[in-house]
Amino acid sequence: MSSDDTTTAGAPSLHPRDEMTPCPWQRGVHVWHVPIFTRAFVFFLALSIIGVGLSVVRAFGGLDFTGMNDAYAWGIWKTFNVMTLTALGSGGFAIGIAAWVFGRHELHAVMRTALMTSLVFYLAGLLALTVDVGRPWNMWHLAFPSHWNTDSSLLEVAVCMPLYAVIFLAFENLPPVFERIFVHASDNLRAVMVRTMPIIKAIFPYMLAGAYVLPAMHQSSLGALLLLAGEKLDPLWQSQMLPLLYVIQAGVAGVACVMFTLMIASLYWQRPIDTRVLGSLGRLMSQCAMAFLIIRFADLAWRGVLGRALALDGLALVFHAENLLVGLPALVMFRRDWRERPRVLFVSAIFAGIGAMLYRFVPTTIAFVPGELKFYFPTFLELLMSAGYVALTVVLYSVAVKMLAIVPGSLDQWYGAVAYARRRFRTIRVDEHGQPSRH
Amino acid sequence: MNVDRRQALQAMLGGTAGGVALLTPAEAAASPIDDRDALGMLYDATRCTGCKACVTACTAANDLVPDTVLSNGRWQMPTDLNAQTKNIIKLYEAPDSPTHSFVKRQCMHCVEPACVTGCPFGALTKRPEDGVVAWHASLCIGCRYCEIACPFEVPKFDWANFNPQVVKCELCRHRFAEGGGPACTEVCPTGAVIAGNRADLLADAKRRIAAHPGQYFEDRVYGEHEAGGTQVLYLSHVSFAALGLPTLSDESLAHYGTKVHHVLYRYLAIPLALWALMAGIIRSRFKHHEKKARVEEASTGLPPQL
Ligand code: SF4
Ligand code: SF4
Ligand code: SF4
Repeated sequence: MSSDDTTTAGAPSLHPRDEMTPCPWQRGVHVWHVPIFTRAFVFFLALSIIGVGLSVVRAFGGLDFTGMNDAYAWGIWKTFNVMTLTALGSGGFAIGIAAWVFGRHELHAVMRTALMTSLVFYLAGLLALTVDVGRPWNMWHLAFPSHWNTDSSLLEVAVCMPLYAVIFLAFENLPPVFERIFVHASDNLRAVMVRTMPIIKAIFPYMLAGAYVLPAMHQSSLGALLLLAGEKLDPLWQSQMLPLLYVIQAGVAGVACVMFTLMIASLYWQRPIDTRVLGSLGRLMSQCAMAFLIIRFADLAWRGVLGRALALDGLALVFHAENLLVGLPALVMFRRDWRERPRVLFVSAIFAGIGAMLYRFVPTTIAFVPGELKFYFPTFLELLMSAGYVALTVVLYSVAVKMLAIVPGSLDQWYGAVAYARRRFRTIRVDEHGQPSRH
Repeated sequence: MNVDRRQALQAMLGGTAGGVALLTPAEAAASPIDDRDALGMLYDATRCTGCKACVTACTAANDLVPDTVLSNGRWQMPTDLNAQTKNIIKLYEAPDSPTHSFVKRQCMHCVEPACVTGCPFGALTKRPEDGVVAWHASLCIGCRYCEIACPFEVPKFDWANFNPQVVKCELCRHRFAEGGGPACTEVCPTGAVIAGNRADLLADAKRRIAAHPGQYFEDRVYGEHEAGGTQVLYLSHVSFAALGLPTLSDESLAHYGTKVHHVLYRYLAIPLALWALMAGIIRSRFKHHEKKARVEEASTGLPPQL
């Protein structure tokens, strides 16, 4: 273990611009040198247990403990818990398309991180979507397509989102799970796994394509939900472009979230930082944000409501905040040398992430102005529940990266992890490279 | 309702029966209900005295518990439509003139209702025989999308109930079988609110406007075109906005909210084409990726990671 610590300590000094430097992120490596139960973990675990516990209470005990009312009927439930958390979970979607469809090969290094963050955020979002409904005993209609009202965007979300998370996203996350099972497995099980591998590889491209179409569908449907809000939504937001803008912002939020997760993980677990890959992520984020701004302003001009943006009221300020929060990082990330500075990358990811989350959150809350004006602010329990959902993602993610080879690291770290595993698990059946051994 | 889109989606995810539908040509969208069949009401604010007989009648006819919170339990005194109130009379007073008006609020029974479009499992339906927008408890999941979607903010959710209901005027459809009609129209002493089919009510309203030029706001009927038209119509001497009736465009939200999606999801053609295109690209990239992984494995001796 000590030998790995020296490697990591030396890593951040790698000169980012040196073309000859081997990139530090070579493969996914388990976070092996820390136990699962750390103090921070226990804190998040407690919070997530509270959140899930409150969900159970809510599922059996009505919605009365919330501050929601008839005017703000979605409170922060669909708006934060679903719209915002699944936007943060769109990294696997955006980065996957960039890498597999547009050929940004360097992004494969962080694909596992992206897919795992997506999975945990979607699980939290799905949990929120499920306990948000006030009459859950009627959810069984979901299983019968003949009961569907396919005009409804909410139906599209309700069908498409679980389908994506439980089948496609879970499939994409299988390889690291398989690897772990394989090194511990008996010969018989290994034989079975060796035989299933070609099947998985055969359907892999088709599953990936599905994993990119489905989020495009339900993330746009989340935006389309607001179309029916009509005149209640301020004209700066109400637009036929809402579905498209929602998908793009999902991309911004997802990529920002992956950048943030990678950098926090690298800091926290002393991994070297690969600015080449992070810079590529920054560029992707910047391109999405630019597309968002261009489409948004073109649409405003087309609808003739650009002037509304100049009004000096609260909503116009929120509008500017949304744009600046993603626009500034997008400009910064345009510059190649800034894309190579960890600090700039980190701050840009945070700003753009907050901006994209804000855009996903505002149309159902702040810019949603019902005629019957009522006050809504989430109750303490509602806030606690949302915090619990966020904590749940942290808990699931940190367990996953300790059990599976997800967080990118260097080859030295890989050898460190393998050596540790061989010492720790007597039964483990891999050679010193991590290759499954024959007997 | 767009029939072919429904079939296409069902075909994708629902199995073989729908698979046939995928191949059949597009059917015409469900035909709109004839104005002579569409039941509704006409409320004339100039005739309303604010007696609230209709509010009491509505509560009784619908077995609702009167909302007495504001009066400390003494009498029915709702502040707005709510889970106990499907019908309400409100008062508008002009800021600096004696002009005032009452207004009756309940479901408008829209011609193309946004609530029906949004409702995921069809718990809200527009009845084909009379256009009444009805709620069905066994299909409602309590998602409250109808509250977000309704431009008139009519559906109300029963927040405090463990078995929450969506409460809104259903034109007293439960009374139709025994020959009854909307209870509120039966008790109105001045005929300020009357029931009838949309064609007759509209003609009646226009006759009143013609007979009393200058009396009615903008000489027009609210609900003739608003939000694609409604089966409950309004006449007023003050502006409709003052009565709390929202200023809406003529395009129904049901149309505005689904026109792009109907194109995107028709036969699921676009998603499927996108899927096929991406699958093709990813397949060739994947082959390349595998080859590179094998080369790397040979040089480093490490198992490739997918
Ligand atoms: S007024 Fe609202 S609740 Fe009534 S039919 Fe129209 S959209 Fe539905
Ligand atoms: S709350 Fe019920 S009636 Fe309203 S949209 Fe949801 S499922 Fe339909
Ligand atoms: S039609 Fe029936 S439910 Fe609707 S407002 Fe009149 S009395 Fe109430």
